[in-house]
Amino acid sequence: MILTLVKIELLKIFKKWRTYIGFIAIGVLVPLLHLAMYLEGQHSLDFITRGLRDSFVLVGNLLNGYWISYIILNALTVHIPFLVALVAGDLLAGEATAGTYRVLITRPVSRMQVVIAKYISGIIYTGSLVLWLAIMSLVIGLIVFGTGELIVMSPDAIIIFEKSDILWRFVLAYGFAALSMSVVCSLSIFFSSLVENAIGPIVATMAIIIIFIILSAFDVEILREIRPYLFTNYILQWREFFYNPLNLDKILKATLILGGHILLFFTATAIIFKKKDILS
Amino acid sequence: MSKKILPLVLLFSILAFSQSKNPDSILDRVKEEFNKIDDYTVDVKIKVDVDFLKMPDREAKIFFKKPDKIHIESEGFAMLPKEGLNFSPLGLLNSKYSSFYVREDTLTGIETSVIKVIPLEGGADVILSTLWVDTKRDLILKIESSRKPQGTFVIDLDYLKTDKGFWLPSSMIFSFSIDRSILPRQFNFDADSDDKKAREDSTKTRTGKVFLDYSNYKINTGLSDEIFENKSNQK
Repeated sequence: MILTLVKIELLKIFKKWRTYIGFIAIGVLVPLLHLAMYLEGQHSLDFITRGLRDSFVLVGNLLNGYWISYIILNALTVHIPFLVALVAGDLLAGEATAGTYRVLITRPVSRMQVVIAKYISGIIYTGSLVLWLAIMSLVIGLIVFGTGELIVMSPDAIIIFEKSDILWRFVLAYGFAALSMSVVCSLSIFFSSLVENAIGPIVATMAIIIIFIILSAFDVEILREIRPYLFTNYILQWREFFYNPLNLDKILKATLILGGHILLFFTATAIIFKKKDILS
Repeated sequence: MSKKILPLVLLFSILAFSQSKNPDSILDRVKEEFNKIDDYTVDVKIKVDVDFLKMPDREAKIFFKKPDKIHIESEGFAMLPKEGLNFSPLGLLNSKYSSFYVREDTLTGIETSVIKVIPLEGGADVILSTLWVDTKRDLILKIESSRKPQGTFVIDLDYLKTDKGFWLPSSMIFSFSIDRSILPRQFNFDADSDDKKAREDSTKTRTGKVFLDYSNYKINTGLSDEIFENKSNQK
């Protein structure tokens, strides 16, 4: 039953024009970034390594598909939440706006099943958006720029990864990015269960993310205390997969915290939706 | 009166003794020895042991042509110390300098003359170099230099005699300290405590070593200038 519901939900998601805004945005933006890197990427690399060039001769091509994908992933994971919220915020509130809430719950399915199906389909959409980002930045990047070693600035060192040691890191990093974006998706669905118009959940989700990011950015003692409790603090921890050695404890902690947030938002949504007085 | 004169006498005696060998003639013989080599190619294995840089071991091919042309080919990314890369004393000794003989010293069982070299040209990166010269083979076995602004470095060299009878390095250890502020910073620091510590650490001076093992020398084969036209790999 759940599978059928998920299929229906996915059909509804991908029938809407707004669903494709995220894919189109990434589809346009990433090639533009590739073009910019093609024209100016070497300057960026020279700028990054200028200190080393004073003492060392650097040989070899670090401007390759891996490095560009890494840069793009750094830049876009901050902005993808908006594209996720755009669809996820509409999942429940959209039913109210369209006046289909009552029709939806008069079918022989429980409200819990509806929420589960909405969540699963929302997370599938989120995953497909991250997958699209991976295809556009990594696959196209490798085709245009080729492969090579990856240079990464970790907090305490510059790390050069061998060609054979990179792809699995990207697979796990994109997987982690999908998990962190799923938290955004869950938050949006939670807000979506509270209101009857999709604009509210989208704005509220972005407001929460912006507030959390600003709170994280201020390096003040009192804010440092609350920082571990802000899920945005873990969104960029896909970078841990590009540090050497891997800090598995940190990755596991971040994964559990993000997973816990999804569970928390799902439970809250399920409770609210179960008790919700459906009038539209 | 005699108390005032005694230190002066001692000082002059030390200076006179320390100048008992002519540093310029020692360095001239070193230059002369190296000048016999017009060009060479060599395979090099590079191992970097630096706390701020983690990179896999590399193999590269170095092309050298007099006076200071260098071209490096490597399948992957390689980082080689600029100083001593062409193991040529010419880079240091071809410009104007002042030299002082300091003392005799023994390095790994080899007797050496220790000479201090001060570049006299204003644009020179190196402020002061100390050279340990094997005067029997006319080879520099160790270089200790202070640079601005990069910090200090020490080069330890071992030599092998090639088929054609030239002495060229078989291994080089480049030890250096470098101001962390001139190294690239992370694109974005995470805001957690570990990275805060890293940010604080980022102001400290870092040290490291680069190990180079040389093999398969091909000397005076008449390398074409075209090899050195690839600016990106040229010193």
